[in-house]
Order: sequence, then C-alpha cells, then structure tokens
Amino acid sequence: MSTPTRFFRITLLRSAIGLPTRTSGVLKALGLHRRLKTVYHPVTQDVAGQVFAVKELVDVQEVDRALSDKEMKQLRQPDSGFYVERRAGERVMGS
Amino acid sequence: MLSRNVKRALLDSRWPLPPTFLLPWAATLTTVSHATEASNIPPPLVNASQHVSPERLERRHDQTSSNTSPAAAPTLQPANTSTPPALSESVRTLLPVLAAQGPHYITAHLYDRPYLLTAGDTVRLPFHMKNVEPGDVLRLNRASVLGSREYTLKAAAATPALKSPSMSSSLVLDDTTGSLESHSMVMPEPGVSSSGSRIMPPHFVPHIAAGKVSYLDERLFVCRAVVMGVESEPLRVKEKTKRRQRKIKKVKSKHRYTILRVKELRGPVCAAAQAMHTGLAHKDYGISSPPSHWSYAVRVSLSQIFAMPGPSYAPKNFVMSTS
Repeated sequence: MSTPTRFFRITLLRSAIGLPTRTSGVLKALGLHRRLKTVYHPVTQDVAGQVFAVKELVDVQEVDRALSDKEMKQLRQPDSGFYVERRAGERVMGS
Repeated sequence: MLSRNVKRALLDSRWPLPPTFLLPWAATLTTVSHATEASNIPPPLVNASQHVSPERLERRHDQTSSNTSPAAAPTLQPANTSTPPALSESVRTLLPVLAAQGPHYITAHLYDRPYLLTAGDTVRLPFHMKNVEPGDVLRLNRASVLGSREYTLKAAAATPALKSPSMSSSLVLDDTTGSLESHSMVMPEPGVSSSGSRIMPPHFVPHIAAGKVSYLDERLFVCRAVVMGVESEPLRVKEKTKRRQRKIKKVKSKHRYTILRVKELRGPVCAAAQAMHTGLAHKDYGISSPPSHWSYAVRVSLSQIFAMPGPSYAPKNFVMSTS
C-alpha cells in the first residue's frame, strides 16, 4: 500500500455516554477512547464513513502530515517561562 | 542623570554608530514630545492592529525556538519590521505614561501558570525547580500583563476555540448586497502558528490552543528572580486500607518547593535604558551590531519625558484599562 499523502486529524469533542453502542464502537475503532484525544487516519473511504457516523462528536481536519504521540506530547509541554541568566558564583559579565 | 549615562553609553566605543537621525544627539531634544511617533515606539508595538480592542496590544512573538538551552542566551531578534501589527491609540499614548509610573507589577508565567509579582516579592513555587542552585539568577521572560498603579498593558487575546477553522463557519454580512452569507473559515497554512509557541505545530492543534495565554513581547520588561532555596512541607502520611481489612498501607509524602525572590522588575522603556547601563543589552534584546533602532529612540523619548515641566500626560481614566 502506498504511503497516504493526506490524513484526517480527528479529535473527540463530545462523549458518547448515553449514545447507542454502535456509536461508541465506532469511536473505539477510530482509537478515540477519551475526550479531546486526537488521532490521525489516512484519508480513505472507510475512515470517511466512520467519521460520518460520529460526525456530531468530533472535529475533523485534513492535514498533510500525521503527528506521532511523541510529537504531540512535545507540543503539549508548556514554556518554562524562565532561563538561568547567571549561575551562583559566576562573575557578572563586564564586571 | 539619566541623560548623562545614556549619552555616555551612546558615545562608548563599544557600540557602533547610532542611526543618523540621532546625530548629533542633543539636537533631537525638543520641548515638543515626540514620544508617540512611530520611530519612538519599539517595533513590536509600532503597528499594532487597529481592530483589536483598545485595551489589547497585539504581540508579535518572533522567537525562533524556546528549546534552545537557556545557558546560551536566546537571541531575541527584532520584531518583523516588514509587516508589524498596528498600534492601538491607547497604547501609543499611554505606554510612556505607564513606563514613567513606577513601581510596576507583572503577571509572569512559569510553565503557563500565572504569578502576580512585583520587585521584592518572595514566591514559593508549587513545584521543585530542577537543575538550579540557590543563588542562580533566573530571567522570567513570559508575561501576560504588565501594569502600574493606574495603567495596565495586556497582550492580545489569541486562543481559538476547540474546533478547527475548517469546521466552523461564520455568517458574514456582504457589504455589496447586504445579504448574510455563510463562509467557511480557511484552514491556517501549515507551519504557521498564531500563538508563536516554542514548537510550531504543522496545523491547528485544538488541545494546545485551548486555554492558552498570549504573552507580551519579551523586550517590554526585564524581570529577574534569584533562587533562594528549597522548602519542604511537613511529612504527611496517607493510610490506605479497605473496610474489614486489617492491613493498612502507609504512603509518605514530603514534597519540596523552590523559593524565588524577585530582585528586579523593569517596566517598558526603562528596560532599554537600564540594559544600556548594565551592559547586558546585547544579551537581553539581541542587540549585537548594529543595535536595533528602537532602543535609541525609546531612550530619547524617555529623556524628553523627564525634561518636560511637570506631569501633564493623558487623563488618568483612559481606555487603556485603569485599575
């Protein structure tokens, strides 16, 4: 199978609690086990049909590149908000 | 006083020649205030967008990557001078007033958590900061709010909703026909990040965009804190057991917390002047050679402010968010 060029970026926004079992089955097949989880699937008719079955619960984008879990985790990490300007015991620059 | 030190710094042989419009230096001083001209405003503020509300300043975050090691001082390049955002009227008129009205306070963000600080504060962080020793000087470079007694400078609100632009559609009133049409918003270009965070996501990432704060430009303030030491809580023991079960499991907790002390906080404009004095300008603002124009122009405007007879600035309850 050739490498897919386009991906669906699917994020679960609404829970399937209280919905028919088939709907939660579709989410499980897509890999969306909790709210705000994001998965990447290649753009195919199968996946498009699955998304259509749960279209009210998800946010979908078409993107060129699928991010790995490690990349997504790196994106989640916040800025430290500081940097060490001078270590204890170092001399001040210029003094 | 201030003008003497600034003049000495200008004539210092370390620094390359200032821009032509400042030579000779004294000739630019007049009793007419030019503080609000475009040349006297730092580039990140020169053209803030007009459509934002007057209390907001649109920030252009131009840092390449925050993954660079902190020991190698991050090179702060000047903001994109090609298409800087428009400056709102309130910011243009009130930024010099804010700068002159010390002391200042700041909402600094460490790991995206806000801390309201001013010079001399002691902060007990809710975590243990690794790889720092007591006595290390930290430079806090993420802030969302910078204010004085009567004025506040905030960064523009930037966070989009959870849904990607391709999903949402907006009703647009067509100017020509006057009819309401539904338009799908265009998906952002891959690689373009509106928030300008440390890593550029290739496309809209909802859970990263949601709840994020937008920050002020780092060159607008200087905030330094010293690591004082590490504090630990009293020992807590959590007993874990079940009903009708005699076995009791005990879990000890004794967390440690880093203590910082804010040793200085410089507001806008003052930051540039102070940096020139201490010689740390090239580290703080990326001024290597040649120095960016705005630092000179802003210092000139500051000297003009002090030269003016008595405070006769804009009225106190202006739009720029009074306390």
